[in-house]
Amino acid sequence: MTKTKETLVVADAGVLIHLDELSALDVLNHYEAVFVPHAVWAEVQYHRPQALQHNNIKLIHYPSQPYSAKINALSALFTLHHGESEALSLCLEQSINTLLTDDTAARLAAKNLNLNVHGTLGLLLKSVHYQLRTPLEVLALLKEIPEKTTLHIRPQLLSDIIVKAQTEWKIKS
Amino acid sequence: MNNAIQTEIPSQLFQQAQLLIQQGWATNLQEIINEALRRYLDSHQEILTEMFIQEDVEWGLNDQD
Repeated sequence: MTKTKETLVVADAGVLIHLDELSALDVLNHYEAVFVPHAVWAEVQYHRPQALQHNNIKLIHYPSQPYSAKINALSALFTLHHGESEALSLCLEQSINTLLTDDTAARLAAKNLNLNVHGTLGLLLKSVHYQLRTPLEVLALLKEIPEKTTLHIRPQLLSDIIVKAQTEWKIKS
Repeated sequence: MNNAIQTEIPSQLFQQAQLLIQQGWATNLQEIINEALRRYLDSHQEILTEMFIQEDVEWGLNDQD
């Protein structure tokens, strides 16, 4: 039987770092494996090495490969870092349809390649649907984002998202 | 009006920029930094960032995949 790649994803550095800052990397357990291209691995290793040391999450360190002309062009157009370029390149090379990133430019480039893109906020919220976390746990994590993480989000937008999640999950504030 | 700032640049990036200047691809470091900043701001507009976050939240809360 051919193994589907629907539960394989490629991660950029930001998502791994932000989730680890929240002690919430376990929300990636929904995925069979998380591919981490070398440039991203090196970036996380430099900024937050502990994010790469969780035995219960299958992170696959993937070696650097030369970019295609398309990735080169997108990288220049959207001023992508090496890690973001490698992540997009890996998606194309391995036919993986989903990129995990919090970077706006990387999201723009990924949409240009018709990839699905999810970030820290979406992954946290989705973990309730996947029954990896309870609604109350996720609400607590969302509230901790400004203090515990390097993920920058406008405070009012974060408050609106928390209210929306509370409404969706029928939880009184 | 121009604003003066003080910042630190990683050695490797600085050397790459100096090489571009020596080769005649840029006039000076300020030109490179201005262009890099302009490109970054173009691709990180607030409206885009918020739109992507809203899409992500919709997926997280409502999408059934």
